Amino acid sequence: MKVNVVAFANFREILGKEIEVALPAGARLRDLLDLLAKSHLGLHEEVYEPTGALKDTAMIMLNRVNIDSQGGLDAALKEGDELAIFPPFAGG
Amino acid sequence: MMIHIGPEDIPLEEIIRTAKRPEVGAVVTFLGIVRDDGIDGMEVEAYEEMALAELDRIREEAMDRFDIRSVDIVHRVGRLSIGGDLVAIVCAAPHRQAAFDGCSFVIEELKRRSAIWKKELSAKGDRWVSGLGRRPIDGDQDSGG
Repeated sequence: MKVNVVAFANFREILGKEIEVALPAGARLRDLLDLLAKSHLGLHEEVYEPTGALKDTAMIMLNRVNIDSQGGLDAALKEGDELAIFPPFAGG
Repeated sequence: MMIHIGPEDIPLEEIIRTAKRPEVGAVVTFLGIVRDDGIDGMEVEAYEEMALAELDRIREEAMDRFDIRSVDIVHRVGRLSIGGDLVAIVCAAPHRQAAFDGCSFVIEELKRRSAIWKKELSAKGDRWVSGLGRRPIDGDQDSGG
């Protein structure tokens, strides 16, 4: 299956603005992040605490809904999903 | 009423002129500009679809919460110079207190909820401004409004 990843601010500088990623069926968010981290230097450190927990400064939306309400790193992905990753908002 | 995110200059006078209607007795304007905190300028980016939808929700909440007649919100993106306009909120109401309250509500909610980011540009090194985080903290230290 393919999912679309959009990234902003410091995450855009690492990943690019938008990329399409192919994943095996049944993949979860954690699998996607791990795959991306293998090919994008610095991503792992921006996303994960040393404990393996998601950093407070890595905000992730799956289909524009915060992943906290969708199982967090265990959120199941499906064909055509849009994942957005960015730091906490800092407008104004 | 205008909700807009873009690189263009903010047409503030035009927005204020449009906000002046017969039932309006007060127009409060907040204009956030790029402050010189020892930086050369600022780069602003937005997740536009998400930010615009949230700004629209914020406007609706302000209209429900306060006795106001219109709210305009314009946020610039792209590279901005020191002193450049960053964000404008124009809030019109029959009476001044509602206009002040509405304007204050909108800018505070915008800072907390809109998908917009700022990078301070400096010869010493560029720096993404830290946002309010998933666990809100009091105040933020940035060079914007």
